[in-house]
Formats: sequence, structure tokens, C-alpha cells
Amino acid sequence: MSAGKAGDLDSLIHDINSKSASLKTAARLLQKSPHAEMRELLALMEQQAKSIVEEIQALEASLNRK
Amino acid sequence: MKNMSVQMNRSLMLCSALMAKLTILVVEDDPLARKIMETHLGGHSVEFAADKASALEKLAARNHDLCFIDLKLGRNDECSGLQLIPVAASKGVYSVVMSGHDSENYIERAYELGCNDFFSKGNEEENIGSILERFLRKRGQVKVDEVFVESFVTEDPSTRATIAEALNYAPSSLPVLLLGPSGTGKTTLAKVIHDHSNRSGEFVAINCAAYSEDLLEAELFGYRKGAFTGASDNRRGRLLQANGGTLFLDEVGSMSLKMQTKLLKAIEEGTFYPLGADKLETSHFRIISATLEDIRSLINSNRMRFDFFQRIHGFTVQLKPLAHRKCDLLPLISFLTRAQKRLAFTPDAKAEILRHDWPGNIRELRKFVDLLLAGDEGCVSVETVSRLLKTIRVEDGTDSFATEAQFRFALSQGLNEAVDRFIDTIIKRAVTQNYGRKAKTLADLKISTRLLYSSLRRIGRHPRQEPVS
Repeated sequence: MSAGKAGDLDSLIHDINSKSASLKTAARLLQKSPHAEMRELLALMEQQAKSIVEEIQALEASLNRK
Repeated sequence: MKNMSVQMNRSLMLCSALMAKLTILVVEDDPLARKIMETHLGGHSVEFAADKASALEKLAARNHDLCFIDLKLGRNDECSGLQLIPVAASKGVYSVVMSGHDSENYIERAYELGCNDFFSKGNEEENIGSILERFLRKRGQVKVDEVFVESFVTEDPSTRATIAEALNYAPSSLPVLLLGPSGTGKTTLAKVIHDHSNRSGEFVAINCAAYSEDLLEAELFGYRKGAFTGASDNRRGRLLQANGGTLFLDEVGSMSLKMQTKLLKAIEEGTFYPLGADKLETSHFRIISATLEDIRSLINSNRMRFDFFQRIHGFTVQLKPLAHRKCDLLPLISFLTRAQKRLAFTPDAKAEILRHDWPGNIRELRKFVDLLLAGDEGCVSVETVSRLLKTIRVEDGTDSFATEAQFRFALSQGLNEAVDRFIDTIIKRAVTQNYGRKAKTLADLKISTRLLYSSLRRIGRHPRQEPVS
């Protein structure tokens, strides 16, 4: 694997770890949140999940280009 | 697990509520992570920055107490968060890295650059509370010398060491148990610990020995109008008054087992019903307890529940009587007269002060100082010191029939044992003085033969037993 690709993979791994950790914490917070705050959290969680998907798709695309 | 998680989060929110308001900067590009931090830092003044540039601006613009830093700030960022650490450190800001980049390399680098704490993301619920506690403990590492000059005057090295250690725990919610004879400063120390706890609530004290069981319950839990005869109005109990603060249970050893059970439940659950109420009340407080009794003896004689003891003692401070820290006598006199007429003592007067044992401890010393200040002498003579000490003894009954040591013996071993020991001491002395003549001893002491012989049997079993005097 090239250095560039290795770097992209490292970045993906870090981001997935970091963003998943936030998703898990946010999910626990949902239990104790009032309605309005729950909606806000869910919207942010959805954004977060989408950003993980985008990163995975971006790495896939760069692999396919090779 | 769910209950534990709820409790933990409650204790975190509680932490925020109980602590003084802190100024915090959170450097985090991820909106969800920012929201999580905002939730867990509720009650504090929190600013956010999403990148290095705005973080530097905010650090320059304001003095923050703490700074939480994510290392990777943006998709293609090369951990620019690291560069913020020395900037925060140079401003004396307590910097905490919370990052998904938690390889040894990054951890080492972050500490090298001067960060105070490093946590991996994902455990904010548990970590933030302990980070804030650690920060407060570090900050509150009190100029200990100030305490020993302004609040709890002592030059005794071991007393200073114990109190300094207790103050390390002041910002935590660890319960503290203060032991020591009457008048050694347990209440003063409890207040000092509360003052250094950063708790926003009050210091609420109650002397458990001053109330009957029913009244103690009413005082602690409060009551509703009509709950019992004499309850002419609603009354907020001490537990509620202490919410967010400190509850000081003085003479905790005198609390009945029934009351210990009720209080234990309230401490553990943080909820209770005032007398006559059907609405559950909530209160979270830190417990400081004090007693002059021997704790082991209280537990062994079933006067204190072991689970109650476990709940009230996290850190124990044993205060010495003044007789064992005579180096404190003259500094204490100086402290007690600092805002009033200053006194000097002749060398003989000082020697007499140091010779006296001060069985009433600081309370007795305070009375002595009051009497001195009411007098005419500026340079106090030995005759004045002797006269005043005698006056205090007569007033207090500290020269009374039972010495402090005998009183403490009775508390630890029981009154029957103390009485037997006293009887044996007197009889042994009388028999010795009468060269073994029992008839003369009976006549001198005006006692029965039965009493004499039961005592002699005891003395025979424990010939080396020391009198308690």
C-alpha cells in the first residue's frame, strides 16, 4: 500500500474510532434528555453517521480509481 | 448497569452543581462531540472553538480555568491541537486532551508539551467528573501555611501533616471522620474542610447528643405542619439545608441505631421523606462527622452500625489534646488575642501555662484568655496564671471527681469497668497504707466485707492493673 493510502486509512480508522465513541456517548445521553434535546442529539448523531459513511465511500472511491 | 449509568451521570451533573463555576474552553471540531461536552459541563461557563485559529483567539482573549483539546481539528488536520497545549500551559490553563488519537506516541507528546491530563474519547460521562475534581484538588492545594495561621492554629508537625492531607480531599465528596477529645477543634476543622471544598451549599452542623431520638429525627429530616404534637408549622430539616454543602454530625457516637439506619438510607439514596410528608425530598451533601468516643469501641459494643461507620468514614483525622501539643499553647493565645489587647507573659507565667495539662483543651484555653483580657495586667504574672487556672477548674468542674482520663476510660470500657477499676485502686492503696490490715481498711473506707473481698479477688487476678487517674 502506498504511503498516501496508508495515511488515508489511518485517518479513516482514527475518525471512525472517534466518531463512534461520540455516537455511543450520545446514545447514552438520549436516555436522560428531554424531548427537545433528544431531537438535537439525534440530528447530530445522524450527521455523524453520514460523515462516517462519506469517509468510507471516499476511501472506496480512491481505491477504485487505482 | 442502567442504574449505575444514571447514578454516574447524576453524580457528574451534581459535581457541576456543587462546584464553583469554572471558565472552560472546549476545542473540538466535531459538532456531536461539542454537544456532549456542553451537556456534561452544564453549570460552568463554557466556550467552544472548532479550529486552532479560533482557539488561539479565545485563549488570548480570556483567562480560562480549563481547556479541553481535541488533537485532530478537521478532516485533513495534522493534529494541530498539539500546538495549543503549550499556549494553554503558558497561561496557566489546566489543559486536558480528549482525543481519539490515543497511541503512546501522542500521549507522550502531549505530556511533553505540558498537558495536565489525557483521556480517550468515549468515556466522557466518567472522565469529566474526575477531571474537574482533580483540577479543583490541584487548585485547592491550599496554601497550607495560611490555614495554620488563620483558621486552625497549630505548630505541631503531625497535626499539620494530618490536616494538610485532609485538605487534599476537601474538594472531593469523601466523608471525613474527626476524632479527638472535647475542645480540640473538631468543629473548626470541619468548617475549614468545608471552606476548602468549593461547595456552593451551606455548612450545616448538628450536635447529635443535644437531641432526643425523636427530636433529632425532626431536626435532620424536617417535618410538615401537624406531623406530631407541637409541629405548628412546616420546617426544613438540616438534610435539606445542607443540599450542595456539608452536613456536620457532631457527637455522632450518641446517635441511636434506629436513627443511624434512617440516616444511612438518606445518605445512600439522596432522598428521604420529612416527617408527615408524602413528597420525596432530594438532597446531596458531603458528610463530616465527629466524636470524642473510641470508634472501635462504639462498633464492638453495637452502639454504631458497621455499615453506618463505613458510610461516614472515608478519611479520618485524629486530633491530639492540647496536653500533647503544648507547642501550640502560646501561638493559640496570640491568635485568640490578635484583634484585642496584646499580652506578654513573664517567663514563670509561660512555664506555668506550659506545665498545665489543659484537660478542657482549646475551650478551656479560650476561657483562660477571656479572663486574662478582662483583667488589668498587660504583662501577666505567674500568680495570675495560677489563680485563673484554678478559677476555670472550679467553674468547669474540670477539677471534679472524675478526671478526663477516667471519663475516657468509662467511655471506652463501660462505666461498670471504670467503677470497678476505681474501687480497686482505692482499696489497694488503703490496704497498702494499712500494712495489709483489712479490718482497718473496712473501717476507714466504710465499706462492706463483700465489697472489699470482691475487689481483692479482682486485684489478685490483675495485680499489675494500673489505676486510671
